[in-house]
Amino acid sequence: MRERLRATLSELLTSTTGKVGVAFLAVMVLISIYALTANPVDFGDRLWNNPAAWADNPKNVPPAWTGLFQSTRPVTHSVLEATEPTETRESTRFVERVYALDLDFPYDEAPTFTSFSLEDVTYQERPPSVSLEVARPDGRTVSLYRLAVPAPRAGESPPYSRYESTPFRVHLTGEPSVAGEAAAFLREEFGAGAQGGSLIGRVDEAVFGTPDAASESGFRPLQGEYRVLVTARFRDEADSIGRVRFVVGGSQFGLMGTDSLGRDLARGLVFGFPVALTIGLLTAIMATVIGTTLGIISGYTGGKTDIGIQRFSDVLSNIPLLPILLFLAFILGQKLWIVIAILILFGWPGMTIVIRSMVLQVRSGQLVEASAALGASRWRIMLRHIFPQMAPFVFAQMIFFTPAAILAEAGLSFLGLGDPSIPTWGQILDQGFRTGAVYVGYWWWVFPPGLLIVLTALTFVLIALGMERVVDPRLRTVRQ
Amino acid sequence: MSIAKTLAIRGATLVGVLFAVLVMVVVTLGATGFSDRMLTAIVNEEVRGLRQGLAQTIRDADRLEAALRDHRQELEASYGLDRPWYSRLPQMIGRVIRLDLGEARTLKTAEGSSSITALLRERLPRTMMLVTTASFITACLGLFFGVKLATRVGSRSDRVASLFAATSNALPAWWAGILLILLTYVILSTFGVRVFPPGGMYSAPPPEGGLPRLLDLLWHAALPVITLTLISVGSWTYVVRTMVMNTAQEDFVTVARAKGLPESAVMRSHILRVAAPPILTGLILGLASSVGGAILTETVFNWPGMGRLYYDAILSVDESVVVALTFMFTLIYVTARFTLEVLYIVVDPRVRYS
Amino acid sequence: MSLLEVSDLTLHYATRGSPVRAVDGVSFRLERGQALGVVGESGSGKTSLSLALMRLLPSNATGYGGSVTLDGQDVMALSNDEFRRQVRWRKMSMVFQGAQSSLNPVLRVGRQVAEPLMLEDGARKAQARERTLRLFDLVRLPREVADRYPHELSGGMKQRVMIAMSLALDPALVVLDEPTSALDVSIQAQMMNLLKDLKSELGISFIFITHDIALASDICDRIAVVYAGQMVELGSADDALTQPSHPYTQRLLGSIPRLASSEPPQFIPGAPPDLSEPPAGCRFHPRCPLAFEPCDRAEPPVAAVRDGHEARCWLLTEERP
Repeated sequence: MRERLRATLSELLTSTTGKVGVAFLAVMVLISIYALTANPVDFGDRLWNNPAAWADNPKNVPPAWTGLFQSTRPVTHSVLEATEPTETRESTRFVERVYALDLDFPYDEAPTFTSFSLEDVTYQERPPSVSLEVARPDGRTVSLYRLAVPAPRAGESPPYSRYESTPFRVHLTGEPSVAGEAAAFLREEFGAGAQGGSLIGRVDEAVFGTPDAASESGFRPLQGEYRVLVTARFRDEADSIGRVRFVVGGSQFGLMGTDSLGRDLARGLVFGFPVALTIGLLTAIMATVIGTTLGIISGYTGGKTDIGIQRFSDVLSNIPLLPILLFLAFILGQKLWIVIAILILFGWPGMTIVIRSMVLQVRSGQLVEASAALGASRWRIMLRHIFPQMAPFVFAQMIFFTPAAILAEAGLSFLGLGDPSIPTWGQILDQGFRTGAVYVGYWWWVFPPGLLIVLTALTFVLIALGMERVVDPRLRTVRQ
Repeated sequence: MSIAKTLAIRGATLVGVLFAVLVMVVVTLGATGFSDRMLTAIVNEEVRGLRQGLAQTIRDADRLEAALRDHRQELEASYGLDRPWYSRLPQMIGRVIRLDLGEARTLKTAEGSSSITALLRERLPRTMMLVTTASFITACLGLFFGVKLATRVGSRSDRVASLFAATSNALPAWWAGILLILLTYVILSTFGVRVFPPGGMYSAPPPEGGLPRLLDLLWHAALPVITLTLISVGSWTYVVRTMVMNTAQEDFVTVARAKGLPESAVMRSHILRVAAPPILTGLILGLASSVGGAILTETVFNWPGMGRLYYDAILSVDESVVVALTFMFTLIYVTARFTLEVLYIVVDPRVRYS
Repeated sequence: MSLLEVSDLTLHYATRGSPVRAVDGVSFRLERGQALGVVGESGSGKTSLSLALMRLLPSNATGYGGSVTLDGQDVMALSNDEFRRQVRWRKMSMVFQGAQSSLNPVLRVGRQVAEPLMLEDGARKAQARERTLRLFDLVRLPREVADRYPHELSGGMKQRVMIAMSLALDPALVVLDEPTSALDVSIQAQMMNLLKDLKSELGISFIFITHDIALASDICDRIAVVYAGQMVELGSADDALTQPSHPYTQRLLGSIPRLASSEPPQFIPGAPPDLSEPPAGCRFHPRCPLAFEPCDRAEPPVAAVRDGHEARCWLLTEERP
């Protein structure tokens, strides 16, 4: 039997479709291994479905490489961070530490957003204050934000620790006080009559540009070297800040762009590989094992067992799959293992029917009859003589079944019945479809996951095609 | 075995399928406590409504509570909530089998009727229209190309077609639909032309008059029909090609040629005549399964058919609609299978006598 | 004038390697009302010869050529369409090997017999039906069989249907490809008697293709022995059977078990050659016990052994390459 399988594999590798399929599969397995080692097991719960993890990403933006095809230069998403101050000024009353973040800004548009965050502040006695300014290439400096770190609460003892587990974060673009500061800056420096309120949501255009009546937005981007200055004023030498961060929101992001929550779609897509392969292969293997076992028993034993198994699988295989799958997934809960179990439950009968008809042919073969005449037990005959003859066929059936399982799960996820704790391509598509990404042309959100579903299914279809010649000997000679 | 017996066995199996599906659905609803929860919710709602009504007439709080308790017991008894779930089973199955499908809780027809039978009567034709149109186009195209390819097996066009067929096996209809919607968006944003609407069955508001209305319907149906055709025509062509190719290698085809029959007659009365039953099987099974698949395609195109209804019923947790529709989907599938058995007997004399 | 004159007929099949030379320069004549037996082992190209005559070429056929004159008409000059309209079934029909697979399983056999009648003669349905029923009489089948499907008939009945079918358009020549090999011996005898009767009653010519030289001699006037795509001996049935000239024919006869003889049957050593790479020189030389010097380097010429009896062997000629 081992030789048979080996022959099957070598036959598979001689056909072009088989070769392409196996190559695809190898790539998918490699990506899956990477995805499982690079991500925590609870990726779905901890990261993917946790909006805080993606807060500093731009929302609904296309992949970074789309910038190559644009005539104007779009903003590259950049995260500026510092853990050590660049300058320390001491006076009798306090210590000032300045964290300077340099930003090269050669872009033709304002950032999509800016945000500022602070992590891990510790103080001994009185809370520090932090201020944020931006020094522009034109020599002007705009002051944006001031923060007083919360004072000690009753019952707390020093050293006091703030923003340790959840950083302090302010979305500068939408913050009214920041808009007010920016408006004041415009009045003083340019004499423009901007009102604070009208700048909410447009702060970045003012900070990273100069007023220009001719331009549509009222501002012209100011290119050059910027310096973001975070000044912390401490009362005690021992007070400290763990990390400051300033995010310049890009109009593009990463390899595959982001969705409406700012999630890095590339990461979700990569994590989809092991999930899809698991669903497909696990379902196919289990359905094949059950289907083959029952098929052989049914075909070889005959009689009442045969009729029983045949009637049962006939009934199951005639049930329209999708409505039932949908119904059961809905009622029994959106758990991946339940979905897999249902797919197996409805997957094996088809296999049993085919295997049984093959067993009927093999059963009357000389080898089997001779073994029976020699007194071999039924189980031995089934295991040692019947199964090996069908092994390549069974293997091909298993490969053939895999894409069906993958597509079924994808369809289910697309209808919103996927397991929320494990992101799949179908779920990404579902979210894209439901938030209307299709109707506004967010192709990077709906195109790649579908393409990956198709490619994965196609991989197995190609392998199955490559094995067609093994399974159907007629085709081995027909081609000339 | 006689025809009657063969048919009887197939019929019995298919009725078994119907029954099995019904039992499975109802037992799942009951055993998971889903049915109880739903009925309790309905009772609570009615009692709440009642409380408001009774509070006007019964001033005494204790009397009010007592009256409500009585009402609740009455309601629970009428819904069968006072009995275990499995005792409600036969009644529920019996009702569905008699096609006494009851009322939907929230879903309504365009006329505002919430009778499930009325809902089905409204939605089923829409789904059938979509699915049968697509199947018909697919069948014609597949037959045409399949026969063509069968005469040049191994050629470049044959290999391209095989690859296309393999790809479309891996292409889910709903994603193909999404792609087409995306494509119409791209065309709209670059050329400013709306080639096809992204979804729905009529424009809002629908145009007046018979013909404009029909054209509007066709315009809306075009994209779903194109999608369904696109994803099935490849594998369908391949099936026809393979069937025709296999049949063309049979000896009796050589005999037919030897008899001096022209190629068209050989193809028509010998090759296609023999390849027809399996081709027909493929067509009808494809049709039957695309009715189930309508749940996905209709969701993508927002087509208010039976599949969309099923999806809405599940989202709005409407137990009776879910049960009724699951039954209807199975019924359609089983009917298609049975039609197939009968047709097979008509077209293939071998089945009649074996 | 002979009914059929074939000269240098060839039919090769393309494969991945060199072409298979299934029919390689075959020449013979057949007189009206006579039967020619074509005898050879399986794989010797007998069936290809019949396909070449009927121009039923598989898709991988190459090197189809030679000259065939049927009833005074050069049929090789006809286009495919003309050949189909003028020759097939009207002048030359065929009974195929394996009646089981030669009948369309989903059509009533009567219709399959009537098909060429309806198509070519433009005959009315009733006339075609009448003719079909008479054909069934002729092959001694009950008339009601016409309304049955192939799977309802026995092997012998199906073979009779095939024969009736071949007679539909009154052809002058019928090619019979192993018409009895799938039948039980008793049915085989009935079939041979039927064929003999048809031959004498209707005056049809037969080409009777078989691996059984004894069976061929039962009905045939002349016998051609083919080996590896070539005709190695051609002569009257009596001569071929009693005074075979070619070593292959001699071995072939020696391999038939005989009841009356004490000699055990002799088998021909070796296997028929691969037709894509036939041996150089005489194709039989690797298996021939009498092979000598010229046999492995030059193809033997056709030598006239007696009047109307020829064979292709270096032993029978004085010529040397």
